[in-house]
Amino acid sequence: MKRSGPLFTLLGGLLLALVMLSLNATTGTSPTASGGGEPPATKVSPSPEPEPTKPTASPGPSKSPPPPSAPANADYAGRTDDDSSAVAVSLRDGKAIAYFCDGRDQESWLKGDVKADGTMRLTSQQGGVLNGELKGNRISGTVDMGQQEYGFTADKALKPSGLYRATESVRGAEIDGGWIVLPDGQQVGIVKRDGTPSAAPRIDPETGAVTVDGQQLTARPVQP
Amino acid sequence: MTVDPNAATQDFPSPEPARRPQASRYLVPALVAGAVALALGAYGKVHEPAGTAFNLAGFSSTGAVKSWLATGAMGFAVVQFVSALMVYGKLPGPSWAGVLHRWSGRVAFLAAVPVAVHCLYALGYQTYETRVLWHSLLGCFFFGAFSAKMLLLRSERLPGWLLPIVGGLVFAALTVVWLTSALWFFRTFGVTT
Repeated sequence: MKRSGPLFTLLGGLLLALVMLSLNATTGTSPTASGGGEPPATKVSPSPEPEPTKPTASPGPSKSPPPPSAPANADYAGRTDDDSSAVAVSLRDGKAIAYFCDGRDQESWLKGDVKADGTMRLTSQQGGVLNGELKGNRISGTVDMGQQEYGFTADKALKPSGLYRATESVRGAEIDGGWIVLPDGQQVGIVKRDGTPSAAPRIDPETGAVTVDGQQLTARPVQP
Repeated sequence: MTVDPNAATQDFPSPEPARRPQASRYLVPALVAGAVALALGAYGKVHEPAGTAFNLAGFSSTGAVKSWLATGAMGFAVVQFVSALMVYGKLPGPSWAGVLHRWSGRVAFLAAVPVAVHCLYALGYQTYETRVLWHSLLGCFFFGAFSAKMLLLRSERLPGWLLPIVGGLVFAALTVVWLTSALWFFRTFGVTT
């Protein structure tokens, strides 16, 4: 007679895995599936300080669907057509923030509104302009950085892909880092030390942890 | 659970000449192992990583939960190693070393399963760094090798060296998987809960 203990062990593990998978699927990350019970402790904590101006007077923070006309909340990440730089856009409730970054010395944060038809015009404080259009699962358009204009396409990006930012002062220097994590896991980032840009070290896409000049920082997902 | 007193003492080659049905004793576990490892890897590669999964209360992050679960599994794996030496008589041990070996193995396996589920569901099979590549590869290998080990246990009259080799592979794989994940996590973020 064959021993069945090992088989039970394997089946037990399989059963546990299936239970966990179904738990994951049901408690999943979709904002509408907030089914009471124990709230998952970490749900990619949204940016700590809520944006003061919210255009829509929606009743609840998480349950309310976005206004019917606005494109769905999502992140998009991709490269410029010449492959020199990366562009990521985060859409939330009709607002958008985008990050353009070449990973060396050129970067820009751009903000603006998304129209109901999916077009957007985002601007930066330095005069950069992003014109884009959301079609299906892709935003395509151009970024005008003043000296040069780049065409780009950015596909829908699921965590941990997206755009991240870390700001902190380390030994007297203001550190401002921005990262784009592309869907294939590649990262493009710049760290500015008191305004001087240089290539950024990698962040851990799951936790956002990054070490800059020996100091541990946390890069957080950016939302408009 | 029938305790098999022969489990440890099969140090002699099978007296019978190799016959045709014997091949399946090795082939089935080997095929299952390959299938399990490939299936996990393929799922991790094809499935779009969800990024997050539910967390356990009391822990700061899923990374911490996983690291502690993995460390628990690693601890029981060390018990596995020592109790296996006892079962094989290489170390003096109590009579219940076999029971210890079986149950520490079960606990280690069951502790590792949620970690793997989270890895594959939330993060997927990734290759963007050497550490990550080895972790992904050996993580899949571990569950394949473990399946093979479990299925081999069901066969009798195996060559004496086979189970120690497969068990050693499972242990070595888990060690590297732990080194490239939990130890890395603790070194990077500190020993946090």
